[in-house]
Amino acid sequence: MFYRENGQFKTTYKADQQAFVIPQDRWAIVALVAFAFLGVPLLVDEYMFRAILVPFLILSLAALGVNILVGYCGQITLGAGASMAVGAYAAYNFMIRVDGMPALAAILLGGLMAALAGIVFGAPSLRVRGLYLAVATLAAQFFWDWAFLRIKWFTNNSSSGSVSVADINLFGWTINSPTDKYLFCLGVLVAFSVMAKNLLRGNMGRQWMAIRDMDVAATVIGIRPMYAKLTAFAVSSFYLGVAGALWGFVNLGSWEPAAFSIDRSFQLLFMVIIGGLGAISGSFFGAAFIVILPIFLNQMLPLVGSLFGLEVSIALVSHVEIIIFGTLIVFFLIVEPHGIARLWATGREKLRLWPFPH
Amino acid sequence: MAFFLETLLGGLMSGMLYSLVALGFVLIFKASGVFNFAQGAMVLFAALAMARFSEWIPGWLGIESLFVANVLAFAVAVVIMFVVAWLIERLALRHLVNQEGATLLMATLGIAYVLDGIGQTIFGSAIYKIDVGMPKEPVMMLESVFEGGILINKEDFIAALIAALLVISLSIFFQKTATGRALRAVADDHQAAQSIGIPLDRIWVIVWCVAGITALVAGIIWGSKLGVQFSLSTIALRALPVVILGGLTSVPGAIIGGLIIGVGEKLSEVYLGPFVGGGIEIWFAYMLALVFLLFRPQGLFGEKIIDRV
Amino acid sequence: MTDKTHSERITFHDAIETMEVDFSSMTFADAVQVNAIYDEVDRQLAATGKRWFFLVLYTDCEIAPEAWDRFAERGKSTNINHGRGSVRVDAKAQTREAIRQSAGRESFRSNIYDTRDQALLALGELRKRQRDLANGADEVFLRVENVSLRFGGVKAITEISFEIKRGEISAIIGPNGAGKSSMLNVINGVYHPQEGTITFLGNVRQQMRPYEAAKQGIARTFQNIALFKGMSVLDNIMTGRNLKMKANMLQQAFWFGPAQREELEHRAKVEEIIDFLEIQHIRKTPVGRLPYGLQKRVDLARALAMEPELLLLDEPMAGMNVEEKQDMCRFILDVNDQFGTTVLLIEHDMGVVMDLSNFVVVLDYGKKIAEGTPDEVRADPNVISAYLGASH
Repeated sequence: MFYRENGQFKTTYKADQQAFVIPQDRWAIVALVAFAFLGVPLLVDEYMFRAILVPFLILSLAALGVNILVGYCGQITLGAGASMAVGAYAAYNFMIRVDGMPALAAILLGGLMAALAGIVFGAPSLRVRGLYLAVATLAAQFFWDWAFLRIKWFTNNSSSGSVSVADINLFGWTINSPTDKYLFCLGVLVAFSVMAKNLLRGNMGRQWMAIRDMDVAATVIGIRPMYAKLTAFAVSSFYLGVAGALWGFVNLGSWEPAAFSIDRSFQLLFMVIIGGLGAISGSFFGAAFIVILPIFLNQMLPLVGSLFGLEVSIALVSHVEIIIFGTLIVFFLIVEPHGIARLWATGREKLRLWPFPH
Repeated sequence: MAFFLETLLGGLMSGMLYSLVALGFVLIFKASGVFNFAQGAMVLFAALAMARFSEWIPGWLGIESLFVANVLAFAVAVVIMFVVAWLIERLALRHLVNQEGATLLMATLGIAYVLDGIGQTIFGSAIYKIDVGMPKEPVMMLESVFEGGILINKEDFIAALIAALLVISLSIFFQKTATGRALRAVADDHQAAQSIGIPLDRIWVIVWCVAGITALVAGIIWGSKLGVQFSLSTIALRALPVVILGGLTSVPGAIIGGLIIGVGEKLSEVYLGPFVGGGIEIWFAYMLALVFLLFRPQGLFGEKIIDRV
Repeated sequence: MTDKTHSERITFHDAIETMEVDFSSMTFADAVQVNAIYDEVDRQLAATGKRWFFLVLYTDCEIAPEAWDRFAERGKSTNINHGRGSVRVDAKAQTREAIRQSAGRESFRSNIYDTRDQALLALGELRKRQRDLANGADEVFLRVENVSLRFGGVKAITEISFEIKRGEISAIIGPNGAGKSSMLNVINGVYHPQEGTITFLGNVRQQMRPYEAAKQGIARTFQNIALFKGMSVLDNIMTGRNLKMKANMLQQAFWFGPAQREELEHRAKVEEIIDFLEIQHIRKTPVGRLPYGLQKRVDLARALAMEPELLLLDEPMAGMNVEEKQDMCRFILDVNDQFGTTVLLIEHDMGVVMDLSNFVVVLDYGKKIAEGTPDEVRADPNVISAYLGASH
């Protein structure tokens, strides 16, 4: 009833080109963000922050990066984890090698380095397409896996290969409590989401989508595939790099290359498939899903097992987890290729017309 | 010189094994346009089945003979792979007809997860042995030519032989039999093949069965060499550069690509590795494939893509 | 107001070479009244001894059905004898219909505007274009010379040459597989010919990338609609403005300054095209949901958004019903007329080709077998045998 647009008329193109055209949507988003900043810290305990919310925020950012490349530009990547690794290790090196480097600047520079690496490894996309490209991005994954493991300079010659950073200090605000970490990551995510929305509703986003939908037609109307694809790789890798740096600096504190292995790449790809390819909100849905599912299964399966008098081992839980992931991916690809975001959008569409279905 | 030849031959042998896995990729891609990321999971699944049943069957049936146990286990594993193939077609692929390549690829990633999970749940996740009685002792060759001769692993040699045999029989199957012709027709154009009465779903089951068999053979060979464990499923990732190099649609491409990658990997590891800290095998193969791709985007033997507008 | 004399209703604006006729609030009950004012118009025009643009005001003008035929006939003859083009202001629906009928063909373009200011603007464009045309008359617009294209061993095009004049509608026809689409692909850089050159607006080249072709002002539509399926109609058309948008990525990310301004400016331009092609009602619809005929129209809109010099249309009417074809014909003529765009089209419907085009090139088996005006081509024995399969 309240979600209806009757009587809302747009009289300028400006009004019609806002990020959220329907005022109810706009207010809902503002309310949600306000609640995330002000309400959540009052309601949630430390475990929630550490185990669910902080990982969710950072992985959302990473998934957003993957979605830009895969969902919007149609360039499939299996090397997302590598971009996160480049971001994390580059930020780490900026921190330890440059005196007085502010953490936020190091994180952004890490993102920039990841963007550069993304451009280099995205270059094959100009010659090769689709499946061949997916394999080419694996090259990046394996190369960086190897580089951070074997080239000691990157890890500052640490003997174990693991690196760690001190708490981030942001203009006098030391980020060490879970609440601080949550608020910091939330701030970054909101800022990056707004930028993504702006890029995607403008000329840049249209170029990416044009390349995704029909690349020959796109070149014919004057879109340069090289520019469009490489910018998509760069922006996507930038997002991933920043997410990687946050993952290392804020979520883990100390980490090894395995934190950004090929499994991470697959995980990110699954997030955007399940969440929704080509929808910003899909990145959030997917990240939430993948963060929560293992925790849920860890709690539920032993419970279900004990009902039948069975001992459920940790190994079994992890096997069931990947079975469920795999099944869901196939399920979504078959039933709703646009993921949870599309289900959400369909529901909203219904709500717009409710209670009159026609 | 002898050392170089040894490395070269070693590379060729392991290349042959890569070819075997790559062959599974190519078969499925040719017939259904699916880039089967689950090939590695299938290898693991098949090897697990083989290893576990050859362990269980003697206990169940009271058979002493290792040979009989292996034959029975092989038969069971074949049946299991057929069932897996049928299920994959029935539950997943059938519903994804005419989807884009990327979608299908992601679906097979999902299938790979399911197979990995189920395989380890049923068969366990420890390290198992497959012992099909392959001779392990090394042999010396060409002693008259080089001083000290060349050292070759007999097991590798037999494995390469089996791989070659499988490749030849598959080529005959594809070229000479009616089913093979139908497969090629489907590969060329799904709809056209359907319209002349080739049953698409049955063809796909057959292809996946054949891919299952190659997975089983690869699994047995690799498994008896390295033991059956989870890391076997990453073998697909090792074989991917081979497929890319050879071209997704070419059986000879898979063979020659496998040899090039096998040799390239070994040579680079031996001659280049020490300078950069070792462990470069895996990404070197990818880089090699990538460089090839830049000059021939369709792979060595793949079909050239012409944009039609 | 009806008491104005006839000569008071006629004004000459020498500076813009325009004669303004004010029919507002007049009522033409029969042929006699029509004749009366047109006699005066023709007399004054004849006295100047020059040709003029016409600006005709129709506000509240009533034309009785009995007068339509005479009205149309007189208007036509005045145009032929003294006119260089005309714009009309505020005509009623029935007047429009009468004017359209008068042209004797469905696809007539009526150039009707809501206000006098809009009409004057359009007139300015018209004059400018005619001047440009006159100036650029001897420059080569598009010349294809000895172009050959092979795919492996297959010859798609063999040594084809022809020339297209600015401002005309030209057509390439030929049986299936004659190399028509390949020819378009060569012209806009999708295919690279092995031999021969293309001269466009003075630039000679053998190969170029589609991006360069687009930049020089070549746009095209596709035989099998190649719209961006995942985007709305509006976004599809906006992509056509891509080459004219200059804001960098950072400005776009922050949606400030030039980025936002540009987006609004180009939106306005795109809305003009949407109005022009009468697709306002579907602007927010994802293109995948549209029926075929509308998709074709969106394809045209996207090409028009580039404001091209040369518009290549690959079977714009394939698969359409009669009504949709008529609409499309009208749009093509209007594009050519109002925007001054040169059109080169491929089409199978001979009636359409002969009716629309000034110049026709006929291909068969990758070779040119004839060229000329529609009438010349129709009479050419090579063409007849190619189409009817007479013995070679």
